[in-house]
Amino acid sequence: MMSWRTLVSRLAPLLACLGLLGIWQIGALILDTDSFPTAIDALRAVPSILTDKESLINILASLRRMAIGFGVGVGLSIPLGLMMGRSRAVASFFNPLLMITYPVPKAALMPIIMLWLGVGDLAKTLVIFLGVSLPVVFHSFQGARAVEEKMLWSGAAMGLSAGQRMLRIVLPSALPEILIGCRTGLVLALITMITSEMIARQSGAGNILFNALDMGQYDTVFAMIIIVGAMGIGLDAAFEQLRKRLVRWSEPRFDLPLSFS
Amino acid sequence: MIEISGVSQVFQTSGRQSHLALSNISLTIQDGAFVSILGPSGCGKSTLLYIVGGFVAPSQGTTRVKGKAITGPGPDRGPVFQEFALFPWKSVLGNVMYGPRQQGVSSAEAEAQSRQLIEMVGLKGFEHFYPKELSGGMKQRVALARTLAYHPAVLLMDEPFGALDAHTRTRLQNDLLNIWERDRKTVLFVTHSVEEAVFLSDKVVVMTRSPGRIKRIIDIDLPRPRRRAELLLDPHYQKYVVDIEGMIDDTSEDELHP
Amino acid sequence: MKGRVLTSDVLLGIAPIALMIAVWQALISFGYAPATLLPPPGQVFMRLVRQLGNNEYQQDIAATLFRLFAGFAIAVVLGVGIGLAAAASPAVNAVVRPIVRVLAPLPKVALYPALLLLLGFGHESKITLVVADALFPILLSTYYGASMVEQKLIWSAMAAGTPPRQILFKVVLPAAMPSVLTGCRIGLVISCIVVFLAEMITSTDGLGHVLVTAARTFRAVDMFVPLITISLLGLILNGLLQWLRSYLLRGFPEV
Ligand SMILES: Nc1ncnc2c1ncn2[C@@H]1O[C@H](COP(=O)(O)OP(=O)(O)O)[C@@H](O)[C@H]1O
Ligand SMILES: [Mg+2]
Repeated sequence: MMSWRTLVSRLAPLLACLGLLGIWQIGALILDTDSFPTAIDALRAVPSILTDKESLINILASLRRMAIGFGVGVGLSIPLGLMMGRSRAVASFFNPLLMITYPVPKAALMPIIMLWLGVGDLAKTLVIFLGVSLPVVFHSFQGARAVEEKMLWSGAAMGLSAGQRMLRIVLPSALPEILIGCRTGLVLALITMITSEMIARQSGAGNILFNALDMGQYDTVFAMIIIVGAMGIGLDAAFEQLRKRLVRWSEPRFDLPLSFS
Repeated sequence: MIEISGVSQVFQTSGRQSHLALSNISLTIQDGAFVSILGPSGCGKSTLLYIVGGFVAPSQGTTRVKGKAITGPGPDRGPVFQEFALFPWKSVLGNVMYGPRQQGVSSAEAEAQSRQLIEMVGLKGFEHFYPKELSGGMKQRVALARTLAYHPAVLLMDEPFGALDAHTRTRLQNDLLNIWERDRKTVLFVTHSVEEAVFLSDKVVVMTRSPGRIKRIIDIDLPRPRRRAELLLDPHYQKYVVDIEGMIDDTSEDELHP
Repeated sequence: MKGRVLTSDVLLGIAPIALMIAVWQALISFGYAPATLLPPPGQVFMRLVRQLGNNEYQQDIAATLFRLFAGFAIAVVLGVGIGLAAAASPAVNAVVRPIVRVLAPLPKVALYPALLLLLGFGHESKITLVVADALFPILLSTYYGASMVEQKLIWSAMAAGTPPRQILFKVVLPAAMPSVLTGCRIGLVISCIVVFLAEMITSTDGLGHVLVTAARTFRAVDMFVPLITISLLGLILNGLLQWLRSYLLRGFPEV
């Protein structure tokens, strides 16, 4: 039987959503300007966007670019990060390069990449790939570096080759940290996707959003915000489920509030 | 005087079961006494100490210090933990000065007192070291000095030497005895070493395996001040150790059950 | 000995950057890339140096820095404050936790149009966007760090006579400092990124604006300069934070 408490804690994010929408609704009613529609008006505009064929194709194309950029980014970044974590030479080779590229907004490369590759899928996907890579490399690096030396020694003593040790010891030990990086990467992928489309202004969810802003269709602007927000929350929740499955063994038990109050 | 009467402790475990950690403990400790609590691991020794410290509220029963009911931690009862629990962001001096500063002692006065204490625990010259730069034994000396610095009437020590090597442990036992001989604080000392308990204490409280109950209280009638070299050869000391070990063996026979 | 290892590390680290610049130059020298698309590195760096001395460009840097600092500072105060409160109080925790779960994964740039409509096109909307993005990493690391504080540290301080309401600032915050600073570091990088993007989307000044203006007129050299500038700014700020970190955490074991 599910107790009342667990039911409330399960539903808490939903309650939080409703609460935030409620604050929005009240805020909009108080401000009462055209450029800030109420939550209900914005929600009403959502179905019309999602049933409009062109908008839907646009949004799905955005998601496809994001999936490719994210997948390729993660696939290349994890091995690189792990190697950096286990080899001092590899780490000192790549570290400065990563340090100088980290604070550069990847979406800001859009104008330059567009010069070279045009405004098509390739440019946008490349930018998403770049945005995803750095946090994943960074966290894989941290995770691999923290692997206990003695565990690797035991592995070597059991006759595992260097490659096997990487795959069977370093990768699983670093997995919790790697997944934290992937989660950050996922959020960044979404951000980069939107921004690159805002800048390229040709297609995609970001384009719909900013076109609506330019044309003063405020209901559409806020409805798109809801759609993009829901995408972010949905993807994150799905990823969190996956993460829980993969690293159940390492769940830290830090949910207890501290006892001094 | 510490009075523990009818104390029981129930913990809610994650499987929503309840686990009886301490069952109906009653114990009186006279001022200035050195009392050790002995018992197998998991029998609730630490829990009992935390209750006296006021860190954990007992499920049942009452605890009093000098006639006043314990409602929370206070500077009259100073804990020393096995894990040292030093503030990593403070130097040795900073750690030791923390208590006096909290008590409103002026900075200069607190520093003078603390330097003296640091010297007393044998760490002169290490005032500006950080805990990470000290060995385990040195850390425990700092932790002891930090607690002594706010002049608690009662010392609550939870396996303070449990994490140290045998040699360091012996030295710290001697030092603790010397300090205790000097100002005769009440000490409640948790340990799982029978020799340590007999060597240090006036009274040894033997507890049973969980749920923790008091099995026996043994008065240790050995002369003070105690010298380790003499004591080890003393047949009385040896008999205490052998007798108490027998009692512990008894309690260890049954299997562990949650 | 240690010095030698360090120099070889530095050399190794410079290698890929040097290589990148060499390939860049080679692409132009061997005629693979026209200078209108990819200006030669020498030209870009000359332009960078000239621009850094240019008063107008300095004002753009100042505008970006102002927004970055304001947003980052607000995010630190809010993030550390809320994170600590959520770790200390079950009631605050119960409210904050679900809200954070909803808001943290939200792509904040998507909120930017709303911020523009609500707060106008000036500093406020950009600073708010920086706060919205930098807040969550700082809040989450603070909360995580504060929740992991060793209970016995708190007990030791309480026994020494620390009143419960001071425990938060005398024990929990300093003990959680490594984690807080890690969050700040992520928050700082994000602040750099976001302030630049916000300026690219709509602005009349700042480094992002410089890039967009250059892109509109297809001046490739001027597109590289603000990007290199933000990278340098990020590097310097990160260095400062690193220095602060090694000072504040001098007592903590290396991680
Ligand atoms: N916070 C807690 N929650 C649940 N059970 C606990 C908690 N603290 C201690 N226990 C249980 O209480 C019993 C006694 O613990 P403890 O006092 O630490 O034993 P000792 O110090 O004698 O080894 C153990 O079985 C332990 O699992
Ligand atoms: Mg114990």
